Amino acid sequence: MDAELIRRLAALVGDRHVLTGVECSPYVLEGRTPEAVVFPGTKEEVGRLLAAADAAGIPVTPWGSGTRIAVGMPPARPGLVLSLKRLDRMLEHEPGDLTATAEAGMTLGAFQDALGQRGQWLSLDPPHARQGTLGGVLASNASGPRRHLYGTARDLLIGLTMVLADGSIVHGGGKVVKNVAGYDLPKLAIGSFGTLGVIVEATFKLRPRPDTDRLIVAIFERVKDAGQGVRAIMASDLIPSAVELLDAEAMRALGLGGREGPALLVGLDGLPEQVAWQSVELTRMLAAGARVETWALDGAERDGAWQAVGELSRRAFPEATAVMTWGVLPTQVADLVEHGGDIARRHGLPAAFAAHAGVGIISAVLGSGAEGKIAATTVAATLGDWRALVRDAGGHGMLEWAPLAVKERVPVWEPPGAPFRIMQRIKAELDPNGILNPGRFVGGI
Amino acid sequence: MVSLSPERKTALRREMETLLGKGAVLSDPDELLVYESDGLTLFRALADFVTFPQTAEHVAALVRLANREGMPFVARGAGTGLSGGCLPAEGGLVISLMRMNRVLEVDYANQFAVVEPGLVNLHLSWAVGPNGFYYAPDPSSQQACTIGGNIANNSGGPHTLKYGVTTNHVLGLEVVLPDGELMWIGGKTRDPQGYDLTGLFVGSEGTFGIATKIIVRILKKPQSVKTVLAVFDEVDHGSNAVSAIIARGLVPAAMEMIDRLTIEAVEDAFGCGYPRDAAAALLIEVDGIAAGMDEQAARIMEACREAGARDVRVARDAEERELLWKGRKSAFGAYGRVSPAYMVMDGVIPRTKLPYVLRRVNEITAAHGLRVGNVFHAGDGNLHPNILYDPREPGIEARVLAAGGEILKLCAEVGGSISGEHGIGLEKADYMPLIFSGADIDCMRRLKHAFNPSGLCNPGKIFPSRKACGEAGIAYRPHPIEEKGLAQRF
Repeated sequence: MDAELIRRLAALVGDRHVLTGVECSPYVLEGRTPEAVVFPGTKEEVGRLLAAADAAGIPVTPWGSGTRIAVGMPPARPGLVLSLKRLDRMLEHEPGDLTATAEAGMTLGAFQDALGQRGQWLSLDPPHARQGTLGGVLASNASGPRRHLYGTARDLLIGLTMVLADGSIVHGGGKVVKNVAGYDLPKLAIGSFGTLGVIVEATFKLRPRPDTDRLIVAIFERVKDAGQGVRAIMASDLIPSAVELLDAEAMRALGLGGREGPALLVGLDGLPEQVAWQSVELTRMLAAGARVETWALDGAERDGAWQAVGELSRRAFPEATAVMTWGVLPTQVADLVEHGGDIARRHGLPAAFAAHAGVGIISAVLGSGAEGKIAATTVAATLGDWRALVRDAGGHGMLEWAPLAVKERVPVWEPPGAPFRIMQRIKAELDPNGILNPGRFVGGI
Repeated sequence: MVSLSPERKTALRREMETLLGKGAVLSDPDELLVYESDGLTLFRALADFVTFPQTAEHVAALVRLANREGMPFVARGAGTGLSGGCLPAEGGLVISLMRMNRVLEVDYANQFAVVEPGLVNLHLSWAVGPNGFYYAPDPSSQQACTIGGNIANNSGGPHTLKYGVTTNHVLGLEVVLPDGELMWIGGKTRDPQGYDLTGLFVGSEGTFGIATKIIVRILKKPQSVKTVLAVFDEVDHGSNAVSAIIARGLVPAAMEMIDRLTIEAVEDAFGCGYPRDAAAALLIEVDGIAAGMDEQAARIMEACREAGARDVRVARDAEERELLWKGRKSAFGAYGRVSPAYMVMDGVIPRTKLPYVLRRVNEITAAHGLRVGNVFHAGDGNLHPNILYDPREPGIEARVLAAGGEILKLCAEVGGSISGEHGIGLEKADYMPLIFSGADIDCMRRLKHAFNPSGLCNPGKIFPSRKACGEAGIAYRPHPIEEKGLAQRF
């Protein structure tokens, strides 16, 4: 990128809002340094920046707080990082409508704090639930344990403003909770990892904060028993907000006490009567099937435990070597966790697993073991076996995080199959010059 | 527009019969008449062929044939749509999915079902009901409408307040793309990689292809249900009660309002037990675990009383509950008792704007010398003003359309939408500029082009005519397909 272009970009946002050279170091991605980092202050500035980059054919990586920026292959070529940091305002919150609109650079933590003052919340609890930005959570379709009851971004996002590569500012959806006018642009943006446009504003459906919120921990003898517990819960009249299954290694990392073993972490929220009845019923039900130790967590202990679940990849091992996310059927979770652990052991590596068991999403964390550094080939071989395991079960695996040397050996994404041609056409329609996060997404989009 | 010689038409009919079997193709004008409109009889358009495939491969073969002939095609379910969305606006081929109506697989442990598009919505709940499950989206036409039609329109219903609309319940689709390729998008597992084509397909009103298999979530039936009826002497009080309930931190499963005119029609038709002298009634349902149910009902009743309800009570038993719901769900049919025809609107507003908007709706219709009945999903602000009229009165339809246009404009002005669940179809295409900019619509056009580059798949829907883009007009004007003589508005 030539100095002239950087001067032009600086003129669009103001000199103070551009970083170049060594100042870009916090934005180094997979060892690649961007040529400049720009901080637009309005969506119109985002539009002008993108139009300029598009005209010059310079790649752009939208950047929220960077908590999931490493997902995907490294950018095909260095370019511009577009930070949404300055677009961080709450635009509208009408408690009576249970909706709120905010700029995409607002952190989820700040958003929740503002909603909480009026007794409401966005029922989305991804890892990094404080630092992550709204735009980043949407673009990476981040979710957490409470998706069991409350769903994911696709169930909560009702409106969206996005800037396309040519600089045009487009809206989809609206500010009302029910709306079928026009194509569902919000769905398209969710999980698109910044490859179709830069999300600048989002409108969400909210929920009232529950009167009571409790976490029940149940420790089992075997993963299989925990899996039976999940089946029993799903077949019962209980309506838990979260059903997490953790293997013994993951439980050790969480340090919640109790005896060693795999566990279920079950979230119960609602009116005090509802939580009380469900706590008793759940404990009774789980004890009927196996030897089990259960206890309840409330308040700060509960919040700490949920946060720890989200941080599993950092807590499980002194040095994690890779994290993979599997999508499978709920009834397959316990089996696959056991087999996944066996596979890692065969390769001489420790592993820890945490699953949103009711929806079949498993986070598989690979450790480095006692000897420290492990050869990338060993890690890659393990991940390859994991992926084969999941694929044979009819599911899919995504390499959430791994060093570049591993990513070069193991694809981040599954081969996209027949629908890929439609995805390519969508990409070509919205970003014809391919400047948005090129090469990072599914199938090399 | 298709223009087929009689010989060509006969040849094509024979070819389709070879593909599908005898009795699966209609092409006589008399037979085609049945398929000339949907639930919105204001629009009519005649197809050249109506076909009844039985497999996904049949559908794909028909779509490929249509492509070869450059013939427009459109999928059709039960024809209960309310926006003209499944009309063969430019003639051509109607692909009826009514013979593809099986439940293919039910996995109770993983809580999903795989069904064919022609399956009637309610029949899915019947199929899984004995095992304690149900399918949550419940459009009022659920006794007739199909799951495939629900996919096209992203249909809602009363219980979507708590459970979400169709899109929140669809995991994956087998689709025939507009060029005839058969493929799966999404699947049985969550978070499929790549762009969310399933999310984009649902609600695309049949312009992205035809769903031939559908994976939907099925839910456990709630342990307990309570239905509260609150009666108001002022519509405003009913509207305020809606906000008051939300403000108390409650999310009922459904919160429905019906006004006096509607109550009269429903009572005349079915005698469901709504008080005839009320200005409005709210039907509020809470469901879930039995524990805490009394507390929830008590909070709701208290909120209604404080908002000025004249009478609030809990339905005594399942029988009374069903009767109240029958009144609500049959309201559209009951209007026949008080008016020879009506046009149903589908605007959405932020629920805090309910009192203002309902007052304005009444003023607008009165100014046009028309009567309006309201029956709607108050909880999520999805209005259904039903403008009543007698089609024999000369010139009245223009007045109905003008009033309807003003109501949509009002919904847009208060930050709402022009459709909550019925879709844009033919009917509201020219109102799209009320809520979307030229750039927004252009972006949607690009998405349409990605799926449907030939434009043969359900043409003439969703997108405004070029003329309407500039003016966002609300006055009645002929739809472009009317101007071209392809369809008529009656």
